Amino acid sequence: MICRTLDRFETAALKFTASMENPVFIVVGGGIAGVSCAETINALEPSAKVVIISVSPLIKAVRNVQELTRTLASFDVDETSIKDYSDLHPNISIIHDIVKEIDSGEKFVVTGCGETLKYTKLCVCTGARQNVIFSDNKHVIGIRDTASAKELDRKLHNAERLVVVGNGGIAIELIFQIECCNVVWVIKDKAIGQVFFDPGASQFFLPILLNKKTDSSDMKRMTYKLEQSAATKAGHVTGGALGPDWHQNLQLAGQAGQTKEINIQYQAEVETLLSSDQVDHSEVDRKSNKSLWPVYAKLTNGKVLGCDFIVSATGVVPNTEVLTQLPCSFSEDGGVRIDENMRVTGLCGVYAAGDVCSTTAWQKKPHWHQMRLWTQARQMGMFAAQCMISHHKNIQTSNSSDCETPQDICFDLFAHATRFFGKRVILLGRYNAQGIEDSQGLEFLLRTTPGEEYIKVVMLNGRMQGAVLIGETDLEETFENLILNEIDLSMLGEDLLNPDVDITDYFD
Amino acid sequence: MGRSFDEELQYLERKTDYCWTIKKGFVPNMQVEGAFYVNSHLEKLMLEELRNSCRGGIGGFLPGVKQIANVAALPGIVKNSIGLPDVHSGYGFAIGNMAAFDMDDPESIVSPGGVGFDINCGVRLIRTNLDETDVTPVKEQLCQSLFDHIPVGVGSKGVIPMQAKDLNEALEMGVDWSLREGYAWAEDKEHCEEYGRLLQADPSKVSAKAKKRGLPQLGTLGAGNHYAEIQVVDEIFDKHAANKMGIDHKGQVCVMVHCGSRGLGHQVATDALVAMEKAMARDKIIVNDRQLACAHIKSAEGQDYLKGMFAAGNYAWVNRSSMTFLTRQAFGKVFNCPPDDLDMQLIYDVSHNIAKVEEHMVNGKQKTLLVHRKGSTRAFPPHHPLIPVDYQLTGQPVLIGGTMGTCSYVLTGTQHGMDTTFGTTCHGAGRALSRAKSRRNLDYQEVLDKLAEKGISIRVASPKLVMEEAPESYKDVTEVVNTCHEAGISKKAIKLRPIAVIKG
Repeated sequence: MICRTLDRFETAALKFTASMENPVFIVVGGGIAGVSCAETINALEPSAKVVIISVSPLIKAVRNVQELTRTLASFDVDETSIKDYSDLHPNISIIHDIVKEIDSGEKFVVTGCGETLKYTKLCVCTGARQNVIFSDNKHVIGIRDTASAKELDRKLHNAERLVVVGNGGIAIELIFQIECCNVVWVIKDKAIGQVFFDPGASQFFLPILLNKKTDSSDMKRMTYKLEQSAATKAGHVTGGALGPDWHQNLQLAGQAGQTKEINIQYQAEVETLLSSDQVDHSEVDRKSNKSLWPVYAKLTNGKVLGCDFIVSATGVVPNTEVLTQLPCSFSEDGGVRIDENMRVTGLCGVYAAGDVCSTTAWQKKPHWHQMRLWTQARQMGMFAAQCMISHHKNIQTSNSSDCETPQDICFDLFAHATRFFGKRVILLGRYNAQGIEDSQGLEFLLRTTPGEEYIKVVMLNGRMQGAVLIGETDLEETFENLILNEIDLSMLGEDLLNPDVDITDYFD
Repeated sequence: MGRSFDEELQYLERKTDYCWTIKKGFVPNMQVEGAFYVNSHLEKLMLEELRNSCRGGIGGFLPGVKQIANVAALPGIVKNSIGLPDVHSGYGFAIGNMAAFDMDDPESIVSPGGVGFDINCGVRLIRTNLDETDVTPVKEQLCQSLFDHIPVGVGSKGVIPMQAKDLNEALEMGVDWSLREGYAWAEDKEHCEEYGRLLQADPSKVSAKAKKRGLPQLGTLGAGNHYAEIQVVDEIFDKHAANKMGIDHKGQVCVMVHCGSRGLGHQVATDALVAMEKAMARDKIIVNDRQLACAHIKSAEGQDYLKGMFAAGNYAWVNRSSMTFLTRQAFGKVFNCPPDDLDMQLIYDVSHNIAKVEEHMVNGKQKTLLVHRKGSTRAFPPHHPLIPVDYQLTGQPVLIGGTMGTCSYVLTGTQHGMDTTFGTTCHGAGRALSRAKSRRNLDYQEVLDKLAEKGISIRVASPKLVMEEAPESYKDVTEVVNTCHEAGISKKAIKLRPIAVIKG
């Protein structure tokens, strides 16, 4: 249990009465959703009291927000200490503690230290934790935040070979960035990056991944960046957090010399882990000179692989512990159900945003789906703040029940910008034809240049439903418009992607 | 139609060194002739584009001459459907196509394709009293400051709050909203087409979806994907006109802002296209190209579109005003003085995707016309009552933003332009549809095979070559502006070159 003694000013300040005129907004969690929520409340209502209760000593900060299109933004994420964050945001109070209990009827929370804090509105942004397979095995590490990323870096330093299990964004980028170490990549899908890419895009990336030169630096940084924050003051705990450049501050280099072999095991999972005593050495896949490894992974496809350690990047589990005693409901993926105004269903005055929540109760949307990404965490945090303030004001003025804040357009069009394998990747709408059951009238348009760009557009009855844009295509704003316009593009066929036509101009 | 290129040529005739006519019959139902302005190089591009299309061309994209002619077949059109020198393929109307319709003719139509999706995409030019030598030493700082102020995000400096109520007011009031909120100077209004507010705007004719697309997430007016450029005066062609604009020497620093109504405009246009397509059968309107969906001006659909389109236009002016405000703040911060002291006055603001109701002389009579200017700019002559008093002797400034990173121009309107093109000139650069290049057979078969595994049919477009040279089919802004000048429809006044670009 983590506890920090509040100094007497802070205690006094917090033992106010949360009232209509002096509302108190409490945000549980200092991750991207939490800070986006708190900062938005502060921006919209500078006089309101905002408190973040964070179990971690590090607060995520979103920087260098670049609005690429109306729904698409890219940004960097830093982790800063509580003190540095407070210095930057003097109007947001931060308590370093755990929330033990929420009383949604009487509207207060109880912290680990035993403090009772009243609130007007509460937003739960506790995120999700990595799912670590065989978590009690000391040779397995999960990776999700800076602390675990640093641990990975340390272990990697002495390693010649590791096994990475998982096929999400972190696994993809990790495999690409690791140097001087052999990697066995175990994925249960047929192709790499399946949650992001279709098999064509996976195939596009494969040569880039496998042929990566040791010192390539494809990263094109933005020309104008805000300075690194006060977070870089000497002596404070800082580091690259998990955003597109999370690996920038890590070495990610092992002991295997200049070679780096990547061995991908498709449609396989780790069945069990064995020590060198337990393993039958005749079964071991002999791909290296080393005869004794610290740990052996036996896969469901029969292969037995020795390695220095295993990285589990196998998905996340929402941190809903603080809500389980309350009359709310949870969806299949473990997230707490929220309504279209971010309210936790079944509770009054309690909201949730980011990885902890689940949008299964929302009306099905033609071009949007929930994915546990930092971009959605930010959007949800911001929208939750807008709803909290709007609902609070409605009660103040009209005493009627909360009325609905219309959802922002970012929940009508899925949009995510990131980088994989050194290439800019933009995903829009139903980029993999997700959820499109009727395949009559479904068609893909494709334009690709090996190693440079991959553009795939999903068309349904002549209307654009989604797109995957890899490389510097400059098509994202036009395609965002075409998807939202829902106009009939069938007369253009594949010439929509014809490089001899300036399609952006055509639809200007 | 299946005519050969030679057969098509029978309908085209060079009238002057700079102007061609497209005769009736080139496409069915032409009510008037078409016309297009070119120099000898641009003429080649127009004809090559036509020749290529006779051989199949590029799928659903029509050559410029055909698009101009199809517009000439629209009901109620007056005088000519005109292509400016930068004319190139667009949705419905070509970009760089002007067409005016007689408001007194009940058959006259209004067409969203004749305005464009990015309604009131336009340009404004702000001068300063700074010189390039003042800016060069602090260029990095200045760009950083602009960057900090213009692309807005939570907690960044350039926050201009806009909630739903504000959006409705902005749609109705245009620059008057910006003035009221303190984001514009009083003189800005004067130096803007329509004084920055289309009075017939009606926010209730803008759909909820369009408003959603127009309302930025935090209620901050993000500038999005158009750009601001810091430019310096490179050449002065017309000293007298330049002086009236407050430009008096080479090296003088200006800022050009280029943006429109983005997603909101797109939705307004799309909503109208859908409504009008439905109404065309009822009203027995026939067009040569489905993309030319239109409605009678006086019909409900026509009126709804005009009022909504005007509202979108107002929104774009609020966008440009906000960017101007943030630009003034940014400069003031770096040079440590109020923007007034830097004489950051608005020279002018023009729209190049809009339709307006204007008075023009047609065959000696004054008529009220609905003038569609898509990818083209209004260029009113000296003494025109609608231009500010400081430009009465020199004519309306016309701002031509080249492609981002290339040079820009300021022109002035002429009487000849007023007489021949209803006071319209070009808006920038363009590109003709070129013959399909023989592209190297790049090996992407494996990628294609993998994608095909999904069992969904795939259409493949030819790959983009990594190092594309500037296509020969390019209609560069200098050439376009010179052609307009030679044709007498506008006059060159100033040339500017960019020294920094801030892409929002």
